[in-house]
This record gives sequence, C-alpha cells and structure tokens, in this order.
Amino acid sequence: MAEFFQQVVAGLATGSIFAALALALVLIHRATGVINFAQGEMAMFTTYIAWTLIENHGVNEWLAFGLTLVIAFGLGLGLQRVVIRPIERAPLLTTVIVTIGLVLIFNGLASLIWSAEVRAFPSPFPNDTWEIGGVAISQQDVGTFLTVLVLVALLWAFFQFTKVGLALRASALNPDASRLVGVRVGWMLAIGWGLAAMLGAAAGMLTAPTVFLDPNMMQAVLIYAFAAAVLGGIDSPFGAVAGGLMLGVGLNLIGTYIDFVGAGLRLPVALLIILVVLLVKPSGLFGKPITRRV
Amino acid sequence: MRRPRLLLAVLALAGVIATCATAATSADPGITTKTILIGGTTPLSGTASAYASVARGANAYFKYVNARGGVNGRTINYKTVDDGYDPAKTVQATRQLVEQDKVFAIFNSLGTEHNVATRDYLNAARVPQLFVASGATTFGRDFKEYPWTIGFQPSYRAEGWIYGKYLARAKPGAKVGVLVQNDDYGKDLLAGLKQGIARSKVKVVAAQPFEVTAPDVQSQISKLKASGANVLALFATPRHAIQGYVFANRLAWRPLIINNAVSSASNIMALASEGGANKAVENSVSIVFLKDPTDVKWRNDAAVRLYRSIMSRHAKGANQKDVYHVYGMAVAYEFVKVLRAAGKNPTRAGVMLQTRKLNDPSNPFLLPGLTIKTSATERFPIEQALLQRWSKGSWKSFGGLWGYRAG
Amino acid sequence: MKRSDLTGVGLFVLAAAAILLLPRFVSDFRAQQFAYVGIYFIALLGLNVLTGYTGLISLGHGAFMAIGGYTTAILVSDQGLKLGSHTFSADVKDIWTIPLAGLVAGLIGFAFGFPALRLTGLYLALATFAIAVAMPGLLKYDRFEQFTGGGGGINLFESDARTRPLETTDPITFETVAEPIRFLGVEISSFNEWLYYLSWALALVMLAIAWFLLRGRTGRSFRAIRDSELAAASSGVNLATYKTLAFGISAFYAGVAGSLLAIATTFVNPDTYPITLSIFLLVGVVVGGLGSLWPLVFGAIFIQFLPLWAQEVSKAQGAPAVVYGVILILVMIMLPGGAAGLIRRLHSLTSRGYHRGR
Repeated sequence: MAEFFQQVVAGLATGSIFAALALALVLIHRATGVINFAQGEMAMFTTYIAWTLIENHGVNEWLAFGLTLVIAFGLGLGLQRVVIRPIERAPLLTTVIVTIGLVLIFNGLASLIWSAEVRAFPSPFPNDTWEIGGVAISQQDVGTFLTVLVLVALLWAFFQFTKVGLALRASALNPDASRLVGVRVGWMLAIGWGLAAMLGAAAGMLTAPTVFLDPNMMQAVLIYAFAAAVLGGIDSPFGAVAGGLMLGVGLNLIGTYIDFVGAGLRLPVALLIILVVLLVKPSGLFGKPITRRV
Repeated sequence: MRRPRLLLAVLALAGVIATCATAATSADPGITTKTILIGGTTPLSGTASAYASVARGANAYFKYVNARGGVNGRTINYKTVDDGYDPAKTVQATRQLVEQDKVFAIFNSLGTEHNVATRDYLNAARVPQLFVASGATTFGRDFKEYPWTIGFQPSYRAEGWIYGKYLARAKPGAKVGVLVQNDDYGKDLLAGLKQGIARSKVKVVAAQPFEVTAPDVQSQISKLKASGANVLALFATPRHAIQGYVFANRLAWRPLIINNAVSSASNIMALASEGGANKAVENSVSIVFLKDPTDVKWRNDAAVRLYRSIMSRHAKGANQKDVYHVYGMAVAYEFVKVLRAAGKNPTRAGVMLQTRKLNDPSNPFLLPGLTIKTSATERFPIEQALLQRWSKGSWKSFGGLWGYRAG
Repeated sequence: MKRSDLTGVGLFVLAAAAILLLPRFVSDFRAQQFAYVGIYFIALLGLNVLTGYTGLISLGHGAFMAIGGYTTAILVSDQGLKLGSHTFSADVKDIWTIPLAGLVAGLIGFAFGFPALRLTGLYLALATFAIAVAMPGLLKYDRFEQFTGGGGGINLFESDARTRPLETTDPITFETVAEPIRFLGVEISSFNEWLYYLSWALALVMLAIAWFLLRGRTGRSFRAIRDSELAAASSGVNLATYKTLAFGISAFYAGVAGSLLAIATTFVNPDTYPITLSIFLLVGVVVGGLGSLWPLVFGAIFIQFLPLWAQEVSKAQGAPAVVYGVILILVMIMLPGGAAGLIRRLHSLTSRGYHRGR
C-alpha cells in the first residue's frame, strides 16, 4: 500500500511540473487565442537567465528569481509586439509556424550562449525529505506543488477581479467590441504574452532543480503540459492544474500496475486515455463547450 | 531489398569517382599529396548535443597534429556534419560526406542506431567506418558481415559484464535493481550484467526501463527501491543517471550504486551530489578507461597537460573538464597512428588492414596499462577497464585491470 | 476544359520536362537531394489536402509516413520479420510496395477520421500530435519487435545479398556492370538518379491526381468545410464523409512519401520519423502556401535545404537553429501566405485581371 501512495506522491510531484507549464499555455491561449509552441523553450531560456544571474553575477537567489520574472515579462511582451503583431491578420497557422521558429531560436541561443552541458539549478525549497507512513515525501516536491496551487489561485483572481484581467478576457473573446469600449486590444495581447512568459519562467525554475538544466529540459515537459492543458480544457487554469496532476499520477499508476505497458508505451497510453476523454467531453474536463456561430 | 544491379552501379560510380579523383598518389578519394579528408556525423543539435564534445576533442587534436606537420606530410581535415541525433539525417549527412565531399573515410560518427543505419551503405561502397562512437556490441561482433566497420570504446556488454563479475566477487548474494534506458545501449549493458552474474548468487531482482524522452524517473526509482534491491545499477545517459541519484536520495534509499561509464564524468557526478547534500553518490562504482582531467591524480600527468594545452589553443572556450573531449583525443590519436602505419600512400583498404592489427599499449589519453588491441578474430579495440569508486568528491580507481572474456 | 486549365496542363508538361532533364545539369549528389525534395513534396501535397483545403490541422503526418515506410520496409527486408506465423522475405520488388504502403497508411488515416470527427481545431491538433508522439513508442514496443524490428530498426539494404557482385567488379574497367536501367530511353547510372526519377515521377503523378480531385465537387466540399462547417453542413455537404475522406487521402500521400523515404534512406527505425518531422511538414505546407498545390514545392525545398544552408552559415553549436528560426519567422512575416501568396501577388501585378480558377 505504501508503494501505491509513493507512486501517487511521485505522480503529484511530476504532475505539478506539467501543471506549471500548462498554466502558461492556458494563459496565452485564453488571452490571445494562440497555442505557443515556444512556451517551453522560453521557460527554459528564462531559467538560464536566472541561472546566469546566480552563477556568474553572484545575485542572491530570490532576487534572481524575481528579476527573471520581470525579464520574462518583458521578453514575452517584446515578442508579441515585434514578431506576432505583424502577422495578426494572417491565418492562425502562420502564427503557429512563427512559434515553431521561436522554438528553434531559443533552443539554439541557449546552446550557443551557455553550451549544452547539464547544470544544476538551485531550488528555493530545502532538500530534505519527510517520511510519513513508509512514504517518502520530499520538501521540494511539496514546495513545487504548493507554488503551483498559489499560481493558479493568483491567475484566477487576476482574471476574475482585476480590470486588466477583465480587459484581457474581453480582448480575447471579442476584440472588436472591446475596442469599442476603449480597451487597447493590441497592448492586452502583449500583456497576455508577457504574463504567460512569466508563468513559463516560474515553471522552468520549478522544473530545473529536479530535472536539471540543459537546453532540451522542457521539451518532454511541453508535450505533457500540452496534453494536460487540453485534458483540463484549454481555457481553464484550474483545468490545466487538474489535468497536469491527473496526468502525472495516471502515468505512474499505469506504469506501475499495468505490466504490459513498458516504458515506451507510457506516454502513448496516457495520450490514448486523454483522447478517449476528449471524445466524451470534446472541450476537456473543465472546459466550456464551444459554440459555433455561422 | 536486393538490387545487385544498382549496387554494382553505385560501385562502378564510386570507381569512376575514384579514378577521376584529384589524387595522383592514391586511387581512393579524399586524399591528395597534401591533405586527407575524413568526415563524421555528430549531434550538434537535439537531445544528445552534449556529446558533440567528442568530435570537438578529436578536431582539436587533429589541429595540433597538423600544426606539427601532419601525417606523412598531409594535413588532416576533419569535417563534421550535424545529424541532430536523427538516424535518417545521419544517412543523408553520411551520403553527403561520401558522395559530395568525397571523404577518404567516415570517422568517429556518434550514435548506435545512427551508425547501424549507415553501416550497410558504407560497407557496400567500401568506405571505412572508423572508430564508431558507440559501445554497441554489434560493431565489434559483426565484423565478418561488415569488414569496413570498427568501434573503439569498451562495448557496453563488456562494461556490464565487468560490473557483474565485480558484484559476484565483492558482494555475493547482492540483489540488483536496474534503471535501464529503453534502447540498445541500456539493453546491452543489462545483458552484459546478466552475463557477468551468471553462475553466481547475485540476482537482478528488478529492471525498470524508461524512455530517453521521459521528464523524470522518480516512479522507476521508487519501484526499484520497493523491490528490495540493495544495489542500484544506473544504465542511463547523464541526465537520467543524475536523476537516479537525486531520487534515491529523496526516497532515503542507500544502495550501492553502479553508474555506467557514459554518465560517470566528474562533472556529472558533481551535479548528482547536489552540492554535497546528496550522499547517495558516496561509494558509487563505475568503470574508467580514460584519464579524467578533473582527477587530481592526473593533474601533472604529461598527457593531461598536453590535453589542456591543445584545448586552450585549438578549442577555445570549450569546457576542459568535459571528459568527452578526452575521448575524442584518444580516438583521434589512434587514428593518426593507424594512418601513419598505413604508409606514405594510404588507401582505404590499407587503413582498414591496420585496424585489424592494432596493438597500442601507450595511448596517452587512456589509463596506463590499457592496451588497444585487435586481431583477425577480435575486433573490439578496447576491452579493458579499471574500476573506480567515488569518494569525497572524486573518483579513485581500485583493484586491477579487468578484461572482458566472452562466454 | 477552360482556357485556364489548358494553360495549367501546358505548364505542367513543361515543368515535367524540366524535371526530367535536371539531373543532366546537376551533380549526382544534388540529384539525391532533389529526390528528397520530391518526397517531401508528396507528403506536403497530402497534408495540404487536409490542412490547407479542409482546414483540419494535423501535427501527426510523420506518423502516417512512418506507417508507409515501415510497410515497405517489412515487406522488402531480409531480416526474417514475422507476423503471427507468416515470415516476411524479400521477394517483393520494392517499388511495388509503394502504392500498398500508401494504401495501408490511407486506410489507417481514414479510420482515424471517424473519432476525429468529434474533435475540432486545437483538440484535433492534439489528437494528431498524440499519434505522432506515440508512433515511435509503438514501433519500439517489445511485443511487436519481431514484426517491426524494434529499436534497432529494419535495413532495406542487406549487405550479404550483394557480396557476390562485389567480388567481380573491377572499379577501373567497369565492363562487368550489368545492363543499365533505362527510363524513357534515358540511361540511369546511379542510385541517386534512380531515386530522383522515381520520386519525381511519383510526385508529378500525385500532383496531377490532387489537381483533378480538388477541382471538382470533392475540392469544393473540402473548402466549404474549411470556411465554415455549419454552412457546409447546411448546404448538404456530408461532413463525416468528406472529413474522413480528407484524412484518408492525406494519409495515403504521406504513406507513399514515407515509403519513398524508406527506400531512399535504406533504413527505418522508430527515430527516423520523429515528431520533428510532423512539425516540419506543417512548416513546409505553410511556407509553400496553404491551399495551393504546385507552390508546395517551395515548401519542400525550404525544409530540405534550409537546415543544410544554416549549417554553412555557422557550425557553432546552436547557431544553425537560430539561423533557421530567424529566416522562418522573417518568411512568415513577409509572406504570410507562403510562396503561393507571393506568386499570387506577382501574378496580380503582372497580369491584367486574368484569374486562374482555384
């Protein structure tokens, strides 16, 4: 029985990492209608910035985290203004391809600037482990999990209670009407990108202590985060977290208790399950059904 | 697919190319009186980009040799092409090197499936596939079918075997849990381990596979702990080997940990020790066949000093602590030796002949006492290694030389 | 036939002639690279039917290529692969497996169309992405190893089948070469040329098929679905039929391309059809131009040659990726409609309002 709980705990830990990045994906989709393939690479890149601040410039860890979040915001904002805005009128796929270009650029830049060596990244949480009823629970995992919960709460509050959040939602939902009401839609989109980049940076900094920092760190995570976001409903932050945690726990339990699912089939089986869920609930578990108008 | 006609045509074309080649001295392409061109693929991008150091080290060594007049008056031009660790790209890139760049030989291409993918083509075209950067057993075992191919590093099977024999001797009755990467590399190591513990009381009680694309291996380590193992074998590439240590520590599990050679570089171990907080690294065992530049024992060693000076001059900005660079130099050194032995006018067949009678006990980048040896029936150049133990931040070798005996 | 169609046919014949003559003017290795362009062109045509014409995003066409490639590899290899009690042996000539590979992929794509009916936009993209990600895992799966060759893959070129001819060939006087293959009276003297002609012959045929298919009712139905599913349904277009058909056709094309890729590379393994292939196919379609046909060749040229040129710019680790990404973004910003968009713009600049039917 302890083994079961251990796998669940491990799953929640891994799932928190998926959830963190999934939140960024959800935010950018909700705010701008775009799926940003580069979310993972941007997260990785900004984490490298944090690393370089701490390692090479001796900046205090917490200060470095904070600075990185600010830099990430600026990066996201800048990207939207420079790269995404010119193709606003183009079909959606053009934007998707641009984000693919960003994947290549960020990955390449990280290799170029910091080399492909694996590096350690400091965690804000202590490295100890609690032992409860035969189950080892690491403080880092608990810290990550709680941080993700805090993030989703903040995000929800932001959208629900702040003017900017409202303006963001409005711009994504109906840009023309929003303009009529005086919302500067262009800047709202940019802010959306900035916030998503910030969330991504947080996700990267939460992931790196466990997974260790290298340019390809977030690629596997992105696939799972994408799956988690869709499972939970692409516009629901709460769904993203729920999806991520479910995916993490699910993967572990499948791998542990269903014997024929070897390492290679874990991900396909998980994706298959998600697809089945989507067939039953096409907008994801917590997503709102899409109404299509003529 | 059987296309005798087409293959004849390929060879005929190769023959035409050969005769039209600029060489006045040799019938083979890629070689002139002043230069010799060799090529290889390397993962400059993609998930294995950390291994690009292998080619970088080799390249630096060649530049050093060229600065000293080259080999028999020829400079060695080593052209590397990025294959992004994708076997399909490896095939295209290798064909480009052979058909467009007209290299003399393919040298030091990295990756198991990648070299398997090009092996048939290179052997059919009679282009040497020299010193493949992979320990997969097939490269040394299948030489009758593929006479133009030869590996270099100790095979993964031999490595696993050494671990097995060591455990049988030092920890009889041990229960081994294995974290095994789900590809030929991991499987070869595991097969070797099983071979080494056959006829002993050591048992593999659990083997947990994982995909190279998995974000972490927490779940696998947890299952290995639950299996009651008191030895943990990490048959994983660096990122996941590090995680193996991290999660064993988090689960408060202290088995004897065996780490495979690919992931045993000192900088990797340092990462795994999490700044000293992770004690699971203590007393880890691994094999070693190269001189690790971070090992204090070699600080004043002539070869390591040479390594540093070559890196400083010909690979500026590269991380000298990365032992893969040393591997690159070791294999480049051996190539230079083979080329020299092939005479004033080397041919492809001549070079391959030399690789069949290697006997070098003094490659400066390998540990003293290791001999690179091949024969008509033995095509594994390096089959020996020392064992080393990690203690207080560095590796210390112990015991005598281990040599792999098949069967 | 409309006048525009006749012009189209005429240009097609001219292009075909040019393509046939090209190998005379370029090096042997270039011919191989252009063969790959042809292979990607076929895959892009297929993907375009689904994404450009019908508006369904697929991030998984690499998986259909894998199905095609593996079908050919299994049928053609000497490795003793088994399915149940049947052992495959290499007594099938490889080019005959190409349509079969396409068919297998096409049927699977068609079958995939049914559950896909329930999914829209992003969710469909994820579903196709899932297939592409899952495919390598499935191919590596232990229980299927006897059939798929597992992680080690399948070699189409088997060395021992050729050791006898090897011994009898004298590279200097090659009189011993067996009689050369001919294509339309043109002598083909190398594997690369053979590959080039095979790929482009197929590419031209499949371009023609696509053109015929898309100019009629089928094409109109596809486009109607893309523009508005509701409107299409209310105009009597059977969504289920056409969507699954779109999947089937595009998967067929991908299967053919995958089979050609296997023949070209002479090797398949789970990693030769990675997720990046699916993504770059999508890149190729957008760069070529969504909803266009022959301009997709520019997309194919882009995805084949740009990685190589980027490496020429700088070999420093990471630099080629940056170069590629920057160029890709610039192309998208300057030409959001891809090559086809550029052609249309040039066309409207130079013609006097003479519109080609689309």
